[in-house]
Amino acid sequence: MEGIPLFMKYELPDVYKEFWDGLKKGEILGTKCKKCGKIYFPPQKDCTNCMTTDLEWVKLSKEGTIMTYSIVKQKPQGFENFQDYIIAIVRNSDDVDLMCWLLDKNPRVNEKVKLTSDGKRILCEGEQK
Amino acid sequence: MNRKVAIVGVGSSKFGKRNDVTIRELTWEAVKEALEDANITQKDIQLTIFGSTAYRGTEIYPAPPASEYSGLTGKTPLRVEAACATGSAAAFSAINAIASGMTDIVLAIGADKMTEVDTSTSLAIGGRGGNYLWEYHMYGTTFPTYYALYATRHMAVYGTKEEDMALVAVKAHKYASYNEKAHFRNRITVEDVLKSRVISWPIKLLDSSPISDGASAAVFMSEEKVKEWKIEDPIWVKGIGYSSDTSYIAARKEWTGLNAAREAGAMAYKMSKTSPQDIEYATVHDCFTIAEIMAYEDLGFVEKGKGAELLREGQTEKDGRIAVNLFGGLKAKGHPLGASGLAMIYEVTKQLREEAGPVQHSFKKYIALTHNVGGTGHYAFVTILER
Repeated sequence: MEGIPLFMKYELPDVYKEFWDGLKKGEILGTKCKKCGKIYFPPQKDCTNCMTTDLEWVKLSKEGTIMTYSIVKQKPQGFENFQDYIIAIVRNSDDVDLMCWLLDKNPRVNEKVKLTSDGKRILCEGEQK
Repeated sequence: MNRKVAIVGVGSSKFGKRNDVTIRELTWEAVKEALEDANITQKDIQLTIFGSTAYRGTEIYPAPPASEYSGLTGKTPLRVEAACATGSAAAFSAINAIASGMTDIVLAIGADKMTEVDTSTSLAIGGRGGNYLWEYHMYGTTFPTYYALYATRHMAVYGTKEEDMALVAVKAHKYASYNEKAHFRNRITVEDVLKSRVISWPIKLLDSSPISDGASAAVFMSEEKVKEWKIEDPIWVKGIGYSSDTSYIAARKEWTGLNAAREAGAMAYKMSKTSPQDIEYATVHDCFTIAEIMAYEDLGFVEKGKGAELLREGQTEKDGRIAVNLFGGLKAKGHPLGASGLAMIYEVTKQLREEAGPVQHSFKKYIALTHNVGGTGHYAFVTILER
């Protein structure tokens, strides 16, 4: 017997508009607390370290190193029509670790990469492509 | 703990794709067995803690209907959730309710019906197991991907091989073949694992625990009641530890082990005044094969990077130095998220009471632990039990 389906549609608050605007320009933005200097990525509006909300947007370094990666073959709902994609964690030269889609065909852990964007997400690619 | 707490009854349903039951009948299978095992009735229960993640079933608020069916109306089913560690969160809440002096007899239930949605939907729900916006929305993470990120790093740093991870699956299926309640009872080889379909490299289908339906339950009791009722063979909670880690996996700085599990383990060892050398039996969270190898290291059974070696040497087999997952683990016994933590307590209780039949491990000190991770280290619970 089939159950009644549950459709859930979401409307997201545009809290981090600056980040998405930055991505369209190929920039990767985080936030930095003006008081204690802590950098947040993913960006936060509030500094939970010194309890202030006085943060500024900062550009993060686009030079990085692959820490780890995985090639996604079985895709989840919403990504079925994508080709296989590689999700990586990259450590940039600001010592910020971030997730991205990796464009290399034969990636290696510890490989140096450059971070870019397709306007929707962070990408990275090494010299071998 | 202010008061000592014992486990006096355990129950577990058959795990697997259970089209023959709704979550109500499924829950009752576990509850009935636990009540009979404890030789008590619903009237004796003062509080029910119901663990369920619930998102993959039609009943997204399953505690009231499943408790009603089990004859537990009026016993306040408090629902708890800690992703894949939900069953342990239920046990933790039950233990606290007794240790604090609030109650004397608590029933912890864990149940999930995970096969009511299709695999793509299930992957999408699991992919949101971390941080929706910065992981799933942007990159289409799946749950296997999170553990694959750990596996790739562990392979790069410590030389762990895909063949090593496959050994975890081979061991799990071997022991599950003796467990009539297990989801999978077929034996497999390293070759089978390596040849199975890639889900999120290096994780393959046979590196992964199945999407399962199942329920488990345990009756917890205060020391006073254990003495008053002259309960035979109680299993004592010696220590419990818990911790958590960031939702965004990239923020963890290290991807060869789970910091939450290390912290939970340290807390449980300290509370119970034991060390990893005292543990003779363990159920560890093997949702993916790499997870079991990391658990050996995180719990201090071996030094970091040597997890695969312990496995290759057969030290985690029955009657080895420390036996692990002799009921088949999440990998082959099955992994209904809400039930798994209490299924671990069920298994360790059976082992410590020497009721494990063909997979009975031999004990000297009768000390064992459960290690249950929620998400990819988003939650961790370690419970140390003693007969």
